[in-house]
Amino acid sequence: MPAPPEAPAGSAAERTLHGTAFGLRLEIDPELEIPGIGDGADTLEGSDLDAAGTGPAAVDTATTPPSSSLFPPPTRVRLDPRELERRWSRAAHAAEVVRELRDGQRVLLTVELAHPAGYLLHAPGVGRILIAPDGCELLGDPEPGNAEWATLIPAQALPLAATLRGLEVLHASGVVLRGQAVLFAGAPGAGKSSLAAALLYRGAALLSDDTIALQLRHGALVAHPGAALLHLRATEHERLSAREQAVLGPAATFPQKRRHHPCVSASPAPFGGLCLLERAMHGPPVEHLTAVDPFALLASTFNLSVRTPERLVRHLDLAAALAATERIYRVRVQPGVNATQLADAVCERLPES
Amino acid sequence: MASPPTSELLTARVRMPQHVVHRSFVAETVMLNLHTGQYHGLNPTAGRMLEALNAAPNAAAAVPELAREYGVEPEQIQGDLIALCQGLLERGLIEIVDAGPA
Repeated sequence: MPAPPEAPAGSAAERTLHGTAFGLRLEIDPELEIPGIGDGADTLEGSDLDAAGTGPAAVDTATTPPSSSLFPPPTRVRLDPRELERRWSRAAHAAEVVRELRDGQRVLLTVELAHPAGYLLHAPGVGRILIAPDGCELLGDPEPGNAEWATLIPAQALPLAATLRGLEVLHASGVVLRGQAVLFAGAPGAGKSSLAAALLYRGAALLSDDTIALQLRHGALVAHPGAALLHLRATEHERLSAREQAVLGPAATFPQKRRHHPCVSASPAPFGGLCLLERAMHGPPVEHLTAVDPFALLASTFNLSVRTPERLVRHLDLAAALAATERIYRVRVQPGVNATQLADAVCERLPES
Repeated sequence: MASPPTSELLTARVRMPQHVVHRSFVAETVMLNLHTGQYHGLNPTAGRMLEALNAAPNAAAAVPELAREYGVEPEQIQGDLIALCQGLLERGLIEIVDAGPA
């Protein structure tokens, strides 16, 4: 739930920006501009949806008060290359690579773990972020002149911090539809963001694009809003009508993608369904799964870096909790069926409550 | 880890060690080995056998009930149960806590 920054005045503490995302309460260095979080990130309350004539309130604030779901203490995010280097240089000799993302031969991102410094995210040519082992502090070290480095924070660092703070993060996009969190998981390019975008036009509020923080609370699953960002492939963006594009908010162009800044849900939402997207030639577009493959649920995780016993058990427990909801669906993305049509099928097939 | 002979497995008491947790799903049981970080899937029959093994004093004692339940000869169940135990032992998913009478 990104929130506007407090007015800058007085002490350093007072100048700190505050926000929330991925179930974390954030205290942000005022020198930092994090895309989709804090300043400029709009939130969408249920009343906003009603006013827009889009049906019932999308955010169930009565059952999921935002403040009660967030973890004290806050997670501090600040620019401090010198402190990052100081901590990492003392621990780096024992560092272990726990994750690596590549595009062919090119390394896009590595995650290294070294105690007691924590997890170091390094995107070559972009920058580094050190995340404390308890997820309570993030130190940034951008490459000089790289304007995109702060995108690492909502895209990678905060989801990892959320995992360290006890949430489970799915590689999924999600919206709040009819007061419930509806999530879309699938392989890259399956259409997660496109489907979320199409549902925004039907009055849903964005929860998050690509990473969804879930929490098992008192036996119930709750999904937390992430950053107010949504990335669409250029071809998908061009397919949308001007009215549909307007709902997605301002757009910026990136190689092969458009980044939008839509309104994001103001509150966490109770879990309403998980749609597993797959490319298919035939079959019903939306199918309720009565016997879910647990490994498909486990594989939906965003985070493979944190392998502590507590986290592994939590990962398994979350998969079991998801299966127990009996609200898992297979969504077939078929040739000739666009995201707008698929969104219609999802709205029709998913239960109202 | 080498499996003990069949006769020993039948009379042994086996259990899941503390570093293994399992959760039941509709059509599968998932076992998680916290030492290796690996997940292992058991089909419903293997999941039921694991449950029976946990409840019985030894593998042989679990055979009659499973044979009745599945309507097959005890010898067949015994063979399947031993094969399951060997597979789980090799993966560190069960351990022998009492080898039983020599």
